[in-house]
Amino acid sequence: MRGFGNPTEIGVAHYLMMSIEEIGDGTAALPHTVGHFAGRPATLDADGRLGTGLLVANIDSIGGMTSGLAALPDWIVTTNLTVRRASSALTGPNGTGPLVFDTQVLRRGRSSVVTRVEVTNISGHGVASSWMTCAILTPEDGPPPFIRPIPRLERAEPTEPIYANSPSQFFNLTAGEQPGVISLEVEQRLRNPWGILHGGSSSVALDTAARSLIAGRPTVDDTPGIIVTDLAMHFLSPGRVGPVVAVATSNGKRGNEHLVRVEVRDLGADNRLMVLGMATVRSLEEEKSTAR
Amino acid sequence: MSLLGLESEIGNDGQIGGWLTLNEFMVSPDGSPRLAVVAMLVDALGGLCSISAADPDWAFTADMSVHLLPTGPMERLRTNLHVRRRGRRTLIIEADLFAEEERPAGSALLTFAIVPKPHHIADVHIDTTPGRRSMNRGSKVDQLQRPYIEELELTFRETGVASIELRPVVTNTVGALHGAVHASLVDETSASLGRALLGGEVVTHDMHLAYLELGLAGPLTATATVLGAACQDRLTTVVEVRDANGALSSHSTAEVTRI
Repeated sequence: MRGFGNPTEIGVAHYLMMSIEEIGDGTAALPHTVGHFAGRPATLDADGRLGTGLLVANIDSIGGMTSGLAALPDWIVTTNLTVRRASSALTGPNGTGPLVFDTQVLRRGRSSVVTRVEVTNISGHGVASSWMTCAILTPEDGPPPFIRPIPRLERAEPTEPIYANSPSQFFNLTAGEQPGVISLEVEQRLRNPWGILHGGSSSVALDTAARSLIAGRPTVDDTPGIIVTDLAMHFLSPGRVGPVVAVATSNGKRGNEHLVRVEVRDLGADNRLMVLGMATVRSLEEEKSTAR
Repeated sequence: MSLLGLESEIGNDGQIGGWLTLNEFMVSPDGSPRLAVVAMLVDALGGLCSISAADPDWAFTADMSVHLLPTGPMERLRTNLHVRRRGRRTLIIEADLFAEEERPAGSALLTFAIVPKPHHIADVHIDTTPGRRSMNRGSKVDQLQRPYIEELELTFRETGVASIELRPVVTNTVGALHGAVHASLVDETSASLGRALLGGEVVTHDMHLAYLELGLAGPLTATATVLGAACQDRLTTVVEVRDANGALSSHSTAEVTRI
């Protein structure tokens, strides 16, 4: 494993523009951080709501960093992550606009760290709840250099045009010929500091494939009224080469909620299975028609 | 595990599956198997699967995600298990669920942590040769005269808060609260909130559960809280299980729907 690069080179973090600060004096065995996500227009849908793919990207970023603080002088990689969105924040004003990611390490074991992330809007209404597990590894060049406690870092607004693009453009997504199939071309900005595909890149591809399947059309765009409401993701192997392809299949439904299984594979690396995900995709349109 | 009629099947190719024979005491108000009993099925079969996959080491459940579909009444719930990754320190197992062998009933994803085989089970031999066998010799299933959840003897202090004493029937080989009983706590504390806030009968159908510390000091207490707010016929919960010393033993989220 190679060392941590310059954090400013992490394209996904620049796209998300979440500022993170550590709570406490930086000596806690179970670190606690808070992330402030302002919600740049490019990252939000027409209602001002963050899609689940980018929500997971934020969770992976702050949860991974906070888990890493618990692992120092070693560092971590995310092995699996779950998220569940609050039903009350899927429509209406709750869940729109700026979000707060309250992040706390729950357990630091010999080889793994478990961390929870609670997401609220700025008035404190619960938007999503997540927990994730990270494996502890020893980086070849040491862990990233942090000043403890970590002060709130306000990122400069990126000036490159790519950062003003929609998620599908930023993450280089292309729709397949069938609904539920999404391809991602790997670019440097989509990698993490270790040079492998950022977990958030995988989550965006997975989320897009799941929504496309339930929308019933090949698309990388927003799918109004169709939202991934919960997700379990297991990172099985790193994405290195690409193209990376996410394929979603339906396992059944409960009312207007579809149980969708998604495999994300690295075609350029012998079609290796990178991520296995199980998602619930809710169709608010079906909900309305049922109510009628 | 002794409360439920679980069976395992190991194929000649090493493929592992199994069944849960259901009765009226193991189902949700809609007739589908309760999340509590499904969690026991996939945890037990996943454990069996892990024995071969982790050999010569041992494995214990680190986390579990379960999604259930509304199957309605059935006689038997079938699961087929697949090892999706065997790393040095973790094992990822996927469990497909079927009603009466063919109708999709949901799925589960489990992580097992691989550890050196503990001394206290060094001499324990578990039969992993091909064949079909009962997983609970001396089962009380025939004597189950009340709902499974009642058999666990949960004590509700208030809506969404339940405690459980450590007794042999709810503990694992080291005397800690059995992992699948954590799932029962998640199921029932979430459902109790659902009944109170949504009104009427409810079902807990999805769960993401992370195990943190062994629950060795009883009683253990589960506290379910609402994420956001109840919304029409749905409720999302966060559930923490703590031991008698206040240590966090598990953390989970769940989804409840009114039926």
